[in-house]
Amino acid sequence: MRKEAIGPFQLFAMIVLFELGTALVVPIGLESGHAVWLAILLALPGGIILVLIYGYLYKQFPDLTISGYMRRILGRAAGWPLALLIVPVFLYNGSRNLREAGDLLISASYDKTPVIIINSIMVIAVMYILYMGIEVFARTAEIYFIVVVIMGLICAFVVIAAGLVKLDNLFPVLPGQWLEALQSAYPNILIFPYGELVCFTTILPHFTAKRKVNGVAVAALVLSSLMLGFTHALEMSVLGPDIYSRTTFPMFTTITLVNVANFIQRLDAFVILTLIFGVFFKMSIYCYAAVSITADLFRIKDTHRLVLPVGVVVLLSSFVSAEDYPAHMADGIVFLEKILPIPCAVIPILLYVVHRLRLRFKLYR
Amino acid sequence: MPIRKAANKPEGNGDRGKQSPLSAALEDTVEQVRSRLGNSPDLVIRNYKSIINEVPIAALYINAITDKNLVDAFVEQAMAFEFPGEGVAIPSAPEDIYSYMKDKAVSTGKEKVIEDLNSLLEALLSGDTVLLVDGIAEALSGMTSGGESRAISEAATQVSIRGSKEAFTEGLGTNIALVRRRIKSPDLWLETMTVGRVTRTDMTMMYMHGLADEGAVQNLRDKLKAIDADSILESGYIEQLLEENRFSPFPTLYNTERPDSVAGNLLEGRIALLIDGTPFALILPATFFVFMHTVEDYYQRYDISTMIRVLRLICLVISLFGPAIFVAALNFHQEMIPTPLLINLASQREGVPFPTFIEALMMEFTFEIIREAGIRMPSPIGQTVSIIGGLVLGQAAVQAGIVSPAMVIVVSLTGICSFTTPAFNMALSIRVLRFGIMFAGAFMGLYGIAIVGLMLVAHMCSLRSLGVPYMSPIAPFAPGDQKDVLVRIPLHFMKTRPRLTRNKQGKRQPGPDAS
Repeated sequence: MRKEAIGPFQLFAMIVLFELGTALVVPIGLESGHAVWLAILLALPGGIILVLIYGYLYKQFPDLTISGYMRRILGRAAGWPLALLIVPVFLYNGSRNLREAGDLLISASYDKTPVIIINSIMVIAVMYILYMGIEVFARTAEIYFIVVVIMGLICAFVVIAAGLVKLDNLFPVLPGQWLEALQSAYPNILIFPYGELVCFTTILPHFTAKRKVNGVAVAALVLSSLMLGFTHALEMSVLGPDIYSRTTFPMFTTITLVNVANFIQRLDAFVILTLIFGVFFKMSIYCYAAVSITADLFRIKDTHRLVLPVGVVVLLSSFVSAEDYPAHMADGIVFLEKILPIPCAVIPILLYVVHRLRLRFKLYR
Repeated sequence: MPIRKAANKPEGNGDRGKQSPLSAALEDTVEQVRSRLGNSPDLVIRNYKSIINEVPIAALYINAITDKNLVDAFVEQAMAFEFPGEGVAIPSAPEDIYSYMKDKAVSTGKEKVIEDLNSLLEALLSGDTVLLVDGIAEALSGMTSGGESRAISEAATQVSIRGSKEAFTEGLGTNIALVRRRIKSPDLWLETMTVGRVTRTDMTMMYMHGLADEGAVQNLRDKLKAIDADSILESGYIEQLLEENRFSPFPTLYNTERPDSVAGNLLEGRIALLIDGTPFALILPATFFVFMHTVEDYYQRYDISTMIRVLRLICLVISLFGPAIFVAALNFHQEMIPTPLLINLASQREGVPFPTFIEALMMEFTFEIIREAGIRMPSPIGQTVSIIGGLVLGQAAVQAGIVSPAMVIVVSLTGICSFTTPAFNMALSIRVLRFGIMFAGAFMGLYGIAIVGLMLVAHMCSLRSLGVPYMSPIAPFAPGDQKDVLVRIPLHFMKTRPRLTRNKQGKRQPGPDAS
């Protein structure tokens, strides 16, 4: 079978969809108060550096996934177990996304539907697309990139047209708040959502335009960062810092306030759709990353065989990991601060440093 | 990719006399032919005797599928004997007479020599006239096919306001001529082959040499050669045998009865298949957007065409998701409907005894019945369908308290929207898929619709038509090809051909600096 190939625009679309994923809907960087949009932008340079590190590692080992070059760089004895430890992190993060989507859907309109039904439908869709392969997935992402951008533009236009924006909620940014923004940017926003791009290290081996990888990734990152910053600024300006920090899904609350000429007033559907699509793509990429690392580690030729187990694990852990949504969020903070940085930042930087050192001192055989 | 083989052996006795050579005795051969054709009354056997030596000669043809004038001309041409002049031996032995006839007949160009019974039968059945000479184990055949066929008429299924009124007919020769008349280029290459073990249907593959991708042409050629079916009665047979994704509801071959559409597609580097006996030509590779375009898009002004294309896509989305969204909104997302409208809808549904989903299903089902009846009904009583249809799908149904007026509007809108899809087979697929999406909408609301929609798009992205991704040029995204997908830019700027057919001569018109 020929190798599946992904073009530059497909990678671009996938990164943007992945970045927007849940970050568009859930509140991020709460500590920074009303300067959350600033925090998102402040975290961008760090995100770019991380992405360039991933890009560098990819260019050094264009045919290998992260687990492959971990073994090359750190040696088999250290690389293999370390790579194995990444898999549960990815699976757990995927299941967190699923949990968040399920909870939003239940709180929005499915109060009588059991969460297991909602989550398993999503998992079935994810498994279906993973069976189809990464190429089909990339093409689907292209189409949904266009769909999400159009929906986003409509929502933003309508929110502004409805006259809900109060710029007082965004400005002024006082010097102390700059510091707060910086604190929430590093490391929180840097890791979620930017650092999560580490998943793409498993997709990059299929990328065809090797030389363009940095350009595409950085462009996608900048665009998604601007979109995220704009959206959160919009939400903040409509809701104010007080409500913004207390609602579970600020975007959803924002859109329900829209009323243009008593005609355009219920655009909740767009928010729900954005979330569904975002979570779908983010989860699929997490599952794909988990599948491909596992396949690489255990030398499984037919990756399709891993799709079902991965899907089931994600589905089960999505509702057994926390008893309710507040507990889920509390877990999230710990996870974000203690565990997620390891695969997203620590391991890539470690790989980068070790690889440079080994190159420098000619330690590769 | 393996082509499905026909499971059963050929019916009839197609293989029996495969290598049986012709008998030298005229009587034997004629008798063999007659018995193989089951003493068919339409087999005509004319007996002649040569002028010299009175060697028996027979001319065989089948009555209704030959042109009498051509038969007469062929026989005359072969049998006419001119005195060779002084010093030249006059042919007298059967061998000499036969070779004399052969020389004369073959000089007209379309004749061939037959040596075994099976090819003789095949020639007869495709309308040729066969000449047999007593004492010779060979036969001469001349192309005399003709007989009644339908005249070229207006396209019935792909109507356009502007553009050629000609449509293909059932005759392969006529159809080829219709395309040739539009593309007077030596690069329009044709390849003829015969498919169907029993039906022996002629088929022509047409492509523009240098524009069509060589690999694709070869690929298609191999696939066509691998077809092993006993009957090919319509291009639909070929279509189904060629499809790469058999379990997909989406068509991956485009069919058209318009020669201008075939010409346009050939010029974009696609390949056309014309099959004898059907006015529907096949075009491949066919991507999703090919099914959304009509030839008229290129005849009208670009801005109008663009608007109409966008309209068509919106209609496609409505006809796919319309009833599902309505059912989902009423069942799950009442908060999404503005309150006055919601109250209105609720009061309309007051007397309706069924759940929304059942109501929608019933109405959609009724609509499909009316549509099917409209197609199958003899045209003189076609009026009845519209009258009765108006009753079951209209005010009467509402007054009877079976459905709500809003549902009638939704279902009618969906129906009208589905008629805007230019390709009938695509509209059919959408029709079928609509029910699935309605189920999803009824059970999981908008979420179900979104997930099913995602899976549907993923499925469409996984399809390929002769190697070309189905959703191209949107996915994979090809910026240069966006000129002719949703937007149709002015012809003046449409300088390059679509990239995905991988043709070499990209330019349609000279660039600005070339003129």
